[in-house]
Amino acid sequence: MYIVFFSTSNVFKAEELLNRANVACDVVPTPATDRAYCGVCLQVEKDCDLSTISSIEFERIEE
Amino acid sequence: MIYFDNAATTREKPKEVLDAFVYYVTQIGVSPGRGSYSLGIEASRMLYKSRVTVAEYFGINEPNVIFTKNSTEAINLFFRGFLNKGDHVVISPYEHNAVLRPLEMMRKEGLIDYSVIERDDLSESNEFILDKYTRENTKVIALTLASNLTGRIIFRSSLFNAARQRGIKTFVDASQGAGKIKLNMFADGIDYLAFTGHKDLKALPGVGGLCSRETLDFNPLIQGGTGVHGHEKTNPHIFPEGYESGTLNMPAIWALKTAIEIVSKDFQERSVRTKALTEELMSQLLSLENVTVYDKDFERVDTIGFNIDGYSSNEMVGILDKNNICTRGGIHCAILAHEALGTVDKGVVRVSLSEKNTEEEIQELIGVIKSLGEK
Repeated sequence: MYIVFFSTSNVFKAEELLNRANVACDVVPTPATDRAYCGVCLQVEKDCDLSTISSIEFERIEE
Repeated sequence: MIYFDNAATTREKPKEVLDAFVYYVTQIGVSPGRGSYSLGIEASRMLYKSRVTVAEYFGINEPNVIFTKNSTEAINLFFRGFLNKGDHVVISPYEHNAVLRPLEMMRKEGLIDYSVIERDDLSESNEFILDKYTRENTKVIALTLASNLTGRIIFRSSLFNAARQRGIKTFVDASQGAGKIKLNMFADGIDYLAFTGHKDLKALPGVGGLCSRETLDFNPLIQGGTGVHGHEKTNPHIFPEGYESGTLNMPAIWALKTAIEIVSKDFQERSVRTKALTEELMSQLLSLENVTVYDKDFERVDTIGFNIDGYSSNEMVGILDKNNICTRGGIHCAILAHEALGTVDKGVVRVSLSEKNTEEEIQELIGVIKSLGEK
């Protein structure tokens, strides 16, 4: 699953928060054709716990 | 050569800062937000980490930092974006032209008005200052952290907290003293803060920024490429990228991160050393009958402004330069302060110290002044 953000800064903020919460994630190019999001996003396991980044605006994109 | 112009730019940077710059240029070498390949992603990650370091240094818990090329650009970004037609601003008589000129231009354009606190009133109570100088339409009080001319500390957290209680936002220009006075934007009542890297934060020229408690919600200063939302024909309302059009000076930003880590680590040690040097210089200058020191009785950073009877400041700077001593004379881009001190005609000789200076260097300066003939 991909998590996409409007701001590049938030991608890395989310990466930091998820790493701290031991949630595996990778920064990867955004696969979506939706141009509303920035060029990189996070790839995570489908059912992972995203509560630690709930304060950040993001969207989920299923593979 | 003796360098006493650290208020302009600290000349000697920590080796780690130079190493960080070289590392970025040689090992990364690409721009953040401009590529989704691994190296570009790493550059973006380094930019984020740099924002976090700056934010933590100034006491904000979110990376609300916009990087600019210097504090002047950050100040212009703030005033041009934050102020609306009909707003009023309160400033001190010690503001640098970086604060005065954008405000004066906006006043001439019929957009805003501003009031300058009289020098004598700076020592008055918070209530007195706010009652006398604020209006119903006062939107922000903007103070320099310290005078670039005399070293006097101007910022007062109690005044900022009192202003906020009246619904007035607060802005500090931390160009002078950001590496010498520890600020916490929340505890000190600061809504917005502009900084530059190349002075006492010990970083390189070409990087500064605007910090804010909340994300910004006004128009950016410039339009252009942001690396995000490229399909939009004006800058996207995305924080922080929407405020950072154009390629950032990422090598200097990465070096700034390192510089702030070093400044934070040896803060106390440096402070003790420079305070002792400043007290020594002040004591020596005050012992000379032909020397006038400005703002000698106020709490200060490591800068002292003075004049010598019979000599203009620029004459003195020339004499000192012939003795391999770098100081600065003239107006120092602080015309309001000269008007307040009565030194517009002759300027002021400024000596600004760093921990790299020595007592022997101070003795050399004093020796040159003592050797001057009467004029």
